[in-house]
Amino acid sequence: MADSICRALRDGALEGEHAPALTIKDNIASPFGFDVFSHVLSQLSSNILAGKSQSRGLVLVAFRRSPSFYVDFLKRKGVDISSSHKWIQILDCYSDPLGWKDGFSLETSNVASSCKNVKDVHKLLSTIIELGQGLVGQGKVRFSAAIDSVSEMVRHASVSSVSGLLSNLRSHDQVSSIFWLLHSDLHEDRVTAAFEYLSTMVASVEPLNQFGNGQRSNMNTFPLLEQSFAKGKFHVRFKRRNGRVRVACEEVRVEQSDVNFTSVSSDNGMINEGLIPKVQFNLQLSEKERIDRANVVLPFEHQGQMLAKLWTD
Amino acid sequence: MAAFRPRIGSFSRNVSASSSSLTPGLKHGPNGTTFISSGVPDLDKILGGGFSLGSLVMVIEDAEAPHHLLLLRNFMSQGLVHNQPLLYASPSKDPRGFLGTLPSAGSSKDEKSSKRDSDEEKGLRIAWQYKKYFDENHQSLDSNRDSKKEFCNDFDLRKPLERQFLIGKQIDCVSTQDSQNLVALHDRCAAFLSQFSRNESSVSVAGRIAIQSLCAPQFVHSDMEWDMLSFLRSLKGMVRSSNAVALVTFPSTLLSLSTSKRWQHMADTLLSVKAIPDEDKDLAKLLTGYQDMIGLLNVHKVARINTQVQQNKCYK
Repeated sequence: MADSICRALRDGALEGEHAPALTIKDNIASPFGFDVFSHVLSQLSSNILAGKSQSRGLVLVAFRRSPSFYVDFLKRKGVDISSSHKWIQILDCYSDPLGWKDGFSLETSNVASSCKNVKDVHKLLSTIIELGQGLVGQGKVRFSAAIDSVSEMVRHASVSSVSGLLSNLRSHDQVSSIFWLLHSDLHEDRVTAAFEYLSTMVASVEPLNQFGNGQRSNMNTFPLLEQSFAKGKFHVRFKRRNGRVRVACEEVRVEQSDVNFTSVSSDNGMINEGLIPKVQFNLQLSEKERIDRANVVLPFEHQGQMLAKLWTD
Repeated sequence: MAAFRPRIGSFSRNVSASSSSLTPGLKHGPNGTTFISSGVPDLDKILGGGFSLGSLVMVIEDAEAPHHLLLLRNFMSQGLVHNQPLLYASPSKDPRGFLGTLPSAGSSKDEKSSKRDSDEEKGLRIAWQYKKYFDENHQSLDSNRDSKKEFCNDFDLRKPLERQFLIGKQIDCVSTQDSQNLVALHDRCAAFLSQFSRNESSVSVAGRIAIQSLCAPQFVHSDMEWDMLSFLRSLKGMVRSSNAVALVTFPSTLLSLSTSKRWQHMADTLLSVKAIPDEDKDLAKLLTGYQDMIGLLNVHKVARINTQVQQNKCYK
């Protein structure tokens, strides 16, 4: 339900509530997380430009790609970037994250500002908020935030400080929505669980054919791998306001640089394994079982015929 | 339902006659314990009276649903309505903000028993599946037997707690986000609990500690599991020797399995909340009232203080 996700991010936060937060996660068998991320980014950007969304600006923290990549990408998607400095700011943590390139001048534009020390998470948080307030002012208008890859952030800073940054952003009055990308293979389960704990929607991209753990690729699976390379399952868990969890599933296909989502018949049987008790008794007999029952010869019923049969044999 | 006579062995603690009149908000329990209310009448009934003074109550959160906040809110509101001092710790930067979300107390029980209709006001109700087999006679018997002073209020989650209950009361708030180690939190708890130390005289005032999401990822030492475990153990010891109840919620999926088991073992009373999937046809067939349900509550362990024998029936 990619549309529902984009709608939720567009609608943003209610008064007095924390901002909705989306985790996009993928793994090595279905590495389309970045494509989904950029799709969500372009959708939100068009919504902001068209004035349909609660937020009036977007702050993108770029760890994996340079700002110029994003500018070109948005141009290709038909998003008008001539006035881009009014609604988007990109924090460049890609070119020189640790401040090694002293003396080299980095590309700066009215859209991008560079960050030289990604280890200082407090400074990063205040920079993001500053950039956002620079876009929308300090009043009641809100902005959205997107983090290219939280997996990259965790390389430089501890999980607890990154979680602190995310939760402080979520609870900030001027943040409308926030989304980030996570590569689940790069972390322990606990780290992934921690980021999922902080988010209100978890979208995971999974391979179409689930291989068992520890199975190495052999010659037989190559055709399958090729086939599954551009396709995957898009699985979303929504944490709704009433405390229930809504689960949805779609198929995602990546062609060239386009991402397509098609609905697939969802099999609900997998979802409720934990809650529904597995009962073994089945009080109805199947057709075959009924025929078999009719064919059973009970010992004392047909004694008369049996004896008659014996005599005629 | 016939009155259930508790089994009294030969080694039960004598409850002296002078302490039979307690301040409202406290109730006598078996074996010389005293109960305070959890804020949810159905939960009090399931637990056999409420939370025992001196017990550590732990709630396992579900990462996908905020139901533990409902339990926390009712617990805190009940304490404020009964004038019991409160210490609240949370991982957010501004814990005081949470106080604005506490529910207000609804109408008293005596009025309700005369109404006799099945849809109650919108408080937090825990409906266990056997309720549909009770007829109305049972319910009226229960409410008539209650004492005049209110032990547990029905809270209306739609309305915020009246300001009179928040001003001038002793409410301490601690944010666990920025503290460098657990020592600060530990000291605050120790200072708070020293007001309620237990002695031979009757209980005059009880205290409540509410700690939200103890191992949340924002918490600086969420990976220092042994330190947190020692903190819990020390808290349990301090609470046991004082007239207070500590309610700690934690998301167990963020801990390693062995640590999670150790934490669960630490608890005197262990509850867990769980989210339910939305628009699920199988669950709708299985459970009556699925449309109104928002989650599931499990009671794993109930506190047994001063006894080895389970006095009350344990409901799941």
